[in-house]
Amino acid sequence: MILNFELTDDLRSLITLTDKEEIYYSLPIDIDERSRYTRDSFLVVSNTTIYVIMHGALERTLAIADCSEAKSHAHVGQGLLTVNHKGVLTVLARYTHGHMGRYAYVARGINILASGRTEHVESNEYEASCPKCGRAIPGTARCPHCSGENRFVSTVKRIAKPYIPQFIGIAVLMILASVTTLVNPAIQRHLVDNVLLEEEPSKTAAFLCLGGMFLMSAGIVFVNVAKSFYSTKLGARISMDMRNSLFDKLQKAPLSYINDRRPGELLNRVVQDTRVIREFMENSFCNLFTVAFIFVCDVIFMLSINPKLALLSFIPAPFVVMLMLAFRKSIHRRFHLQWHKNDDASSNLQDVISGMRVVKSYGNEKPEAAKFLKYSNEYCRVQTRNECFWAIFNPMLSFLMGAGVFVVVYFGGRDVLLGDMTTGELIQFMTYTTLLYQYLNWMTQLPRQLTAIISSLERIDDILAFDRIPNHGEGVVKTIEGQVDFEKATFGYRSYKPVLEGIDLHVRPGEKIGIVGPSGAGKSTLINLLMGLYEADDGVLMVDGTDIRTLDRKSFHSQLGVVLQETFLFSGTILENIRFARPDATYEEVIAAARTANAHDFICRTPGGYDTYVGEKGYNLSGGERQRIAIARAVLANPSLLILDEATASLDTESEYLVQNALSKLTKGKTTFAIAHRLSTLKDCDRLIVIDGHKICEVGSHEELIAAKGLYYELLTAQLQMQRRREG
Amino acid sequence: MEEKTLTYFESSGGFLGARSGEEEYTRVRAVRLFPFSDPDKYISIRVGSEAGEELAVIRDLTELAPEQRELIEHDLELNYFMPVINKIISIKDEYGYAYFHVMTDKGEVKFTINMGGTNVSKLSETRLLITDINENRFEIRDVRELTPAEQRKLDLFL
Repeated sequence: MILNFELTDDLRSLITLTDKEEIYYSLPIDIDERSRYTRDSFLVVSNTTIYVIMHGALERTLAIADCSEAKSHAHVGQGLLTVNHKGVLTVLARYTHGHMGRYAYVARGINILASGRTEHVESNEYEASCPKCGRAIPGTARCPHCSGENRFVSTVKRIAKPYIPQFIGIAVLMILASVTTLVNPAIQRHLVDNVLLEEEPSKTAAFLCLGGMFLMSAGIVFVNVAKSFYSTKLGARISMDMRNSLFDKLQKAPLSYINDRRPGELLNRVVQDTRVIREFMENSFCNLFTVAFIFVCDVIFMLSINPKLALLSFIPAPFVVMLMLAFRKSIHRRFHLQWHKNDDASSNLQDVISGMRVVKSYGNEKPEAAKFLKYSNEYCRVQTRNECFWAIFNPMLSFLMGAGVFVVVYFGGRDVLLGDMTTGELIQFMTYTTLLYQYLNWMTQLPRQLTAIISSLERIDDILAFDRIPNHGEGVVKTIEGQVDFEKATFGYRSYKPVLEGIDLHVRPGEKIGIVGPSGAGKSTLINLLMGLYEADDGVLMVDGTDIRTLDRKSFHSQLGVVLQETFLFSGTILENIRFARPDATYEEVIAAARTANAHDFICRTPGGYDTYVGEKGYNLSGGERQRIAIARAVLANPSLLILDEATASLDTESEYLVQNALSKLTKGKTTFAIAHRLSTLKDCDRLIVIDGHKICEVGSHEELIAAKGLYYELLTAQLQMQRRREG
Repeated sequence: MEEKTLTYFESSGGFLGARSGEEEYTRVRAVRLFPFSDPDKYISIRVGSEAGEELAVIRDLTELAPEQRELIEHDLELNYFMPVINKIISIKDEYGYAYFHVMTDKGEVKFTINMGGTNVSKLSETRLLITDINENRFEIRDVRELTPAEQRKLDLFL
């Protein structure tokens, strides 16, 4: 994301920088004080000063030393940047959504400068539209349009490299196909001119020609079948290899990369974009060179037979191409609309069917039926219109494609009658003209297909080119003691919405920490940071005094035990699920772990014992049973750092007891972070931290916090009252 | 719900403040309850810049004294930016994206939408809400008030 926009010379001249001053950030302000769109307005931040330029004039100058608490507020349809300037909250800039993320970064940048540090804030987020050409960027780092054909060619080269022998094979077949296609009309001419039109046609010669033509036609069929077969095979291979490398890459990508994308988008890249490539290989690529080769030869042959006639037959070509492009565009628009209408109707249907109970219970069948009828009618109307359009214009297009042939027949016929051209030549010429227009038609489809494949390649390449999270500490295997220190850690999933700000927390090895706070306060986020799923935007997180980023990821994760609220069990047996933590664990170890987790007894009662199949379409385990399997998994890993995120939240009292009991065995002597809503489950914790408003607001033991009568006390009394009311 | 009778004032920095008897709130925010169907009715007044606890609901802005009303309207301006399209200059569609160039009540603007998905939603038969790739939202109050040529440009999304 660009944080330092280029200023025009006029605007730049409004600002006079001192010697040691340097422009850090410069962002457009696109809403003015009258709430109208504006241009020529910028917020410029140097290392000492904030300048606000409105409508091409310098409006305000603020010394950063006088400012604090810069913040980007996300309101409806716009954002506001405010700072605390000499104790007064002041609005510095208003902007639309496109700049919201940028201002959040710059607000952080201003706060850093205000605190006396000088480092720049940078953003790894992608631009939504290309700053150069203004086109939308399909979720990639570079604009597929501006990165240009050069990059396309280099990407294709890189992808094609391992398959060169296959490509050569297909190319040979393509040339064979072209040659057979082009030679056939020449034999035809020979047949007409030298055999049929002779005074006494020789039967043998005629049969010889016919035989030759038959061989050629049969040959084309064989060559085409072989060509399609090998192209399809190669396409399937390439898209399979790509899917595999995409999947591999995605597994290694940081969670933030995956979370930054819309759900389904990555799935689309793996499934759909690779399909686009396969289809391109099957439908277009196998004909691409054949068509180009034949097209060029075709034109050369025509020119060599009769240049005048050839040029005449080219005349309608530009018009035909233009008409075909227009036709295609119109068809595309029409069918897109039809698709839209179909979508409306089916989503309405889905809505009503899944909400059938509500519809029926409120007796709303009739209005709902009327609504569906309306959608359905709309769809029918558009469909009828489109089919009519297709039925009328498609034959007209075929007629147009014959336009060149009519020209040839007229002028060529005259030449034959005048004796300037032989009949055979005319026939050969007509075949070439038909071929020419056929391939022109084919080529007009190419731009759309090429764009589709360029976009797909760009999207795929975007993942493939993504550097996996640097594993700085690769190979540094270390046994973790369990000391954890947060130092001024700040983090947000969206740049403009920090979830945690300036977290300071020091935990001794073996200490049990309970995390409390209202929902959405950032409890789970704190734990996500600790698990190394995300990296802090600012500040550091240290384990045993080492920055978590410099630890070997694999070794760190193998010493981490996690039990979440909803345990995810993979499709597979109980054994496999427990062994997920350590695939080489023996049966004895698995059983011992299950016993510690109070899971052994219920596993014995399932029909398949440890071989019971769970997960999708498998044996249904209750919430408590799943939790205990997760605990067994954690026990098996024997971690030195334990994370429990609402591990007992969704359980009934009895299974909660069993799980609680298993957890206390598991957490003995290990650094533990536990989140819980039900505060009673945290009474064993050494220290409790209360998170509210993105910050840690209270730290202390249960007794200390009650004595302090703060937020914890409030939460606890509220819960006790609720419990009493329920019981009473 | 118990409601407080509030008097509004401009606090330092140009924000909305409110007073109720002895109590004074230096920053309150006005929140529209029906931003599309009735933007000037039912406005919730909430404490703080994050719009926390509700202090009151103004049923109708026109019932307020003019200078009080202006203060609320100013705060609404800071909280809402919802351009209404009243003229379509051009729509170009290219490979899955549509590029709009329009005139709104807030001035001329260009934006891009993704054509797949539900980025043009119907608030009613004739009222559209368009969401661009940056999540800016644009409203068309009544499609029938556009010229036939403009409607045809929109055809692809209706």
